[in-house]
Amino acid sequence: MSAAAAEFPPDQLLFTGYSPGSFYDELIAPNGEPRPCAARMYEQLASMPLDIFEERRKLADLSYLVQGITFTVYSDGRGTERLFPFDLVPRIIPRSEWDVIERGLAQRVMALNLYLQDIYGAQRILKDRIIPRHLVFSCKHFRREMVGLNVPRDIYVHISGIDLVRDSRTGQYLVLEDNARSPSGISYVLENRLVMRRTFPRAFETSEVMPVDHYPSELARILRSLSPRTGERPVVVLLTPGLYNSAYFEHCFLAQEMGIELVEGRDLVVVDDVVYMKTIHGLTRVDVIYRRVDDDFLDPLAFRAGSLVGVPGLINAYRAGNIGLANAIGTGVADDKAIYAYVPAFIKYYLGEDPILQNVETYLCSDPQHLCYVLDHLPELVVKAVGESGGYGMLMGPSADKKTIEEFRHRLNADPRNYIAQPVIPLSRVPSFDPAIGGMSPRHVDLRPYCLYDGEKVTIVPGGLTRVALQRGSLVVNSSQGGGSKDTWVLRGDE
Amino acid sequence: MMLSRIADSLFWIGRYMERADNTARILDVNYHMLLEQPPNTYKLRWDPLIAVTGERARFYAAHQEASAQTAFEFLGFSEGNPNSIAQCIVNARENARTIRDRISRELWEDINSLYHRVTRMREQEEDLSRFCDAVKRGGHRFHGVCDATLARDEGWHFVQAGCVLERAEMTARILDVHYHQLLEGPRILNESRNHLWMAVLKSVAAFEFYKRQYGQIEPAKVAELLLLDARHPRSVRFNLSALQSSLYAISGSVPGTYANEAERLTGKLHESLTYARIEEIFAGGLHEFLQDLQQTCRSIGEEITGAYFHYSVVA
Repeated sequence: MSAAAAEFPPDQLLFTGYSPGSFYDELIAPNGEPRPCAARMYEQLASMPLDIFEERRKLADLSYLVQGITFTVYSDGRGTERLFPFDLVPRIIPRSEWDVIERGLAQRVMALNLYLQDIYGAQRILKDRIIPRHLVFSCKHFRREMVGLNVPRDIYVHISGIDLVRDSRTGQYLVLEDNARSPSGISYVLENRLVMRRTFPRAFETSEVMPVDHYPSELARILRSLSPRTGERPVVVLLTPGLYNSAYFEHCFLAQEMGIELVEGRDLVVVDDVVYMKTIHGLTRVDVIYRRVDDDFLDPLAFRAGSLVGVPGLINAYRAGNIGLANAIGTGVADDKAIYAYVPAFIKYYLGEDPILQNVETYLCSDPQHLCYVLDHLPELVVKAVGESGGYGMLMGPSADKKTIEEFRHRLNADPRNYIAQPVIPLSRVPSFDPAIGGMSPRHVDLRPYCLYDGEKVTIVPGGLTRVALQRGSLVVNSSQGGGSKDTWVLRGDE
Repeated sequence: MMLSRIADSLFWIGRYMERADNTARILDVNYHMLLEQPPNTYKLRWDPLIAVTGERARFYAAHQEASAQTAFEFLGFSEGNPNSIAQCIVNARENARTIRDRISRELWEDINSLYHRVTRMREQEEDLSRFCDAVKRGGHRFHGVCDATLARDEGWHFVQAGCVLERAEMTARILDVHYHQLLEGPRILNESRNHLWMAVLKSVAAFEFYKRQYGQIEPAKVAELLLLDARHPRSVRFNLSALQSSLYAISGSVPGTYANEAERLTGKLHESLTYARIEEIFAGGLHEFLQDLQQTCRSIGEEITGAYFHYSVVA
């Protein structure tokens, strides 16, 4: 028996004393009984002795360590590698619920692509005054160079990750933000599933869980379709900033799963507007780049001079139509947090449909009336910088101290266009193992599904990445703030 | 199709793993041999070991004298010594991590596990033998996993080239340093001398093979085996032959020709070892011969780099 288990009463089980509390619990109904979707999983976990659970937990951790699925923390000067904490209790989504999410996401991805096509093309939406011109053109990630340029097959966002949360008050899923540049995390979805299958093989026998591992082949198919050369087997590569990027593991993982070359900027060279990679036997032509390098760093000649991770001349090759890029350049004008507020309007305007998934109520600080409200209610709101991602440049009003709030008040007044504010959403929760009590406690979660778009249809891997705030009471799921992840199950049926 | 950067990393994974393995071997054998020697010879005998690794200057900048403890710290763990066993494994693992999409999952997990095992050991707490054993086993497993899980493409040949080039150079160094010491060092009893030659053979896993081939320990025979033997996997000739095969496999050259300077130098050196007699080598001076040999190995490494990893592109 493990040391941890020995501290607790021998008859204690994982769900002893568990209460879903006042938030929506994804697995347990308010009366303390498992929801239908979770019944089979609950049955197995509820009777599992603590020491066996502990043993499996250690096995799972070891498996991440041996595989080197770690992120690097540089704060101690030595570059210590840490595990991205993984919680063994899955988040389970019944099929009927997922079907709605899936349709809602597909609708949103279509609308975002039509919007980008329009903004870098005819700009009808501006002429029809659906969205203010100044809001679009003042986006940090708007790329003037892209206006009037034809991108392969008119697709801008091939790969997106759309963050969803479930509002405990209504039980409805809401879209929290769109990630239309280069969202990361899909490798955790696939690895988490792998580890879960090894750790709890029996759970997969009893619950009918939809598979996720077709993602790499679907992505590879879309990438190949972007090749400007026809008749030849396209050479597709994944461009990474390199080993010290926090998502490097994912870049390796995807390249390997797709069987394509993982390259760094220094491996590529542009000669006469054609991209080549340096091999041991000379130069080989490249047709498509899945780039995990931001626009700004992609080409030191076109954007940020001095970028070492980019490829000089790449943009000219792109303009000349000699290389396919995914995602296209300039997609940040679609996932800017101020533009986000207009996505429901895009859906209406371009598709003539009502949005299936709603937005979180959002105040644009560029609007003087909204700004006034936000400044009056800072301690109740979440404030976000519009062009940032990954939890940077954010104010959590309810948990911030006076000094931080005043600092943000100052920033908002100085540069209102750069900020939006939203009410704090009471996120739903999922039972998660708490070593301190040797049993389950509810913890807040969000959900990031990954969407692939091939120009005709949107393919979404069932589920996505469930991030969990492992600290008691915390609503922040980012890994830098003690967040972890869970395997996400979409069932073939509802139970 | 293979990226130059990836070939570079594969080559260095081979070199670093082999360097760690060889260093552990000489450290371990020396330690055990000295346990049976009169105590006053201890001090003298750790110094050549430092010399084998080519890091004397760095060692004496950090330590006053070469003892079992300081040599173990410096060759086993030191972060200040880029060729310490731990650093070699750190570097091999860093290279593997960069190209983990291009090697088998088994190979990556194996190198990564070895890294975690070795970097968690600390010299104060570790028994030298246990540590060296872990590294040697790691080396054997590395070869086994490569053999059993890597496709025999150019990547495999770059790993091989790195291993065998490193091994050829290490064997030459071991021989050079010990020979030098035995002939020109302080007087040692004949019986101890035999003991030392046995230790040299054991450090390259050639003791049993030697006994079967030659029986009695004779310095010239030891040199002959380590330099000219065609069958023992640690002899210089054996490794140059393997290097030549891998270089040919990479470039597509046929025997008797060469596509680059690395192949020319390798072929030339291999040829000279194939037809040499140990008596001729001794007549010309073993030390001079081994010095030249090590220099040629270094040149081959540079030429491989120039031909495949860092060539210039005219844009």
